[in-house]
Amino acid sequence: MGSGHEDMIDAKGAAAAIEIARVRQEFCRDGLPVVALDSLDLSIRHNEFTVVVGPSGCGKTTLLYLMAGFEKPTSGRVLVHGREVEGPGRDRGIVFQDLALFPWRTVLGNIAFGLETARMKREDALALAREYVHLVGLEGFEKAYPNTLSGGMKQRVALARTLACEPDVLLMDEPFGALDVQTRRLMQEELVRIWETRRKTVVFVTHSVSEAVYLADTVYVLTARPGTVKGVVHVDLPRPREAPDPMVMAKRGEVLSLLESEVRKTHLMQTRPLDDAWR
Amino acid sequence: MNNDREPSRNAIGFALPLLIVALVWQLVVSIGLVDSSLVPSPWSIGRTMLGLLSPEPLILSYLVTSLYRMVVGFVLGSVIGILLGVPLGASGGLHKALKPILDFFISVPTICWVPLLLISVGMGDATVIIAVFLGCVFPVTYSAMNGVRSTRKDLVWAARGMGASSSRVLFAVLLPAALPSVITGLRLAVGYSWRALVGAEMLAAASSGIGYMIYAARAFYDVNVMFAGLVLIALAGLGMDYLVMGTLERRTIQKWGAVTKT
Repeated sequence: MGSGHEDMIDAKGAAAAIEIARVRQEFCRDGLPVVALDSLDLSIRHNEFTVVVGPSGCGKTTLLYLMAGFEKPTSGRVLVHGREVEGPGRDRGIVFQDLALFPWRTVLGNIAFGLETARMKREDALALAREYVHLVGLEGFEKAYPNTLSGGMKQRVALARTLACEPDVLLMDEPFGALDVQTRRLMQEELVRIWETRRKTVVFVTHSVSEAVYLADTVYVLTARPGTVKGVVHVDLPRPREAPDPMVMAKRGEVLSLLESEVRKTHLMQTRPLDDAWR
Repeated sequence: MNNDREPSRNAIGFALPLLIVALVWQLVVSIGLVDSSLVPSPWSIGRTMLGLLSPEPLILSYLVTSLYRMVVGFVLGSVIGILLGVPLGASGGLHKALKPILDFFISVPTICWVPLLLISVGMGDATVIIAVFLGCVFPVTYSAMNGVRSTRKDLVWAARGMGASSSRVLFAVLLPAALPSVITGLRLAVGYSWRALVGAEMLAAASSGIGYMIYAARAFYDVNVMFAGLVLIALAGLGMDYLVMGTLERRTIQKWGAVTKT
């Protein structure tokens, strides 16, 4: 994809799209220091679909926010295209867990936001936004406000809004977590379809093992807090990956076995009821 | 307080209780339970209002004068309130430093300013307009500040991630995100300002305005005119709240689903 709209992307010959080195991240909660991530290393190739799974509270979102530039690591380095992340930027697009759609903008207005920001002429921005409306299959809803849309449709708007900025890296924070099972599966299929037509480096955070294996080239399993890499599973299977396939089931088993002991640790750490930790 | 009135309530449901009160009132006065020279009947108040329309539409010209003072003071106060409130909300330091000052001024009843204004500005339009201004500038500043402060962080991050500059974040994210809170503040401010206007007109308007009309009527023991003024003030206040604020609300935050109509 020709997305040479920023010079910094020229650093591409480098081996990895994203490089996380010895990252430690601390924050304060109720006056007490909490270590969210510790000695975390990972390396993500160009156009690779990476999924990060881990027990709740292991710092998955923090990791994504570090890449997005919303937070700075306490120590260690976060490199995107060979450059230290200094803050948010258009080369990295993010889809938030709560979507963060602008309620005062229509579907089209939301998708055009980033294009208008790039000082594109209004009619050009809207025309391009319409292409993205088409890409995510929302024709006919251009003038609807987000509050009138279903969960799956909002999800499509959020994805289109981020894609419209043509980021090289797509960061997704448990984007399908709030959807029902049917819609979730549909959105996963859509995401794979879109990713196959517009290749990008994707980092996708989830705590669903089946989602991870369905989507990923590479699955990173994080430990319970402080989060660090517990193991890596390469899923080199053709897509779409359907559940009855024994190869798919085997990969799920591999991820699950890495994850299970960590989830149990999380249970022991938390004083909250069991079902809450599973959320 | 009548600020939580919902615009969608239908006219009959609204008018009927008032009509019943008017009928009972009429009855009480007619059978002589109260002194009609102190409490005139609704019928006689209505006749007085019609009488004030001809031969000259005196009451209308007073109303127009009052509304003019209201609009000037209110627009100035709201614009300045929003301009002050947004940076106060956006900057943690400013907010910390200035909130106590704002808290102090917001608890001063607006009418307290009028004697001071009479000394410094004197009788006339300017004093009334400044009173209206003071009635709305503090609640609007406050609500704009709170609106900006309570903006979801991920909305700002989303905009930043799409390359938005600080000024674009301010105008395209923080301002619209603050609007539900600002509109609540504006509705409150309409009430404050309208009260301030009537009070200020009684003390500072030499010869015009509804407040002046009520106050001047005391010299003639004309309770009919006083009640006529009272009714008009209530109706105009209702009208502003319903027509202006209600419309603003329906066109913006209700459409966005930021508030639900009941």
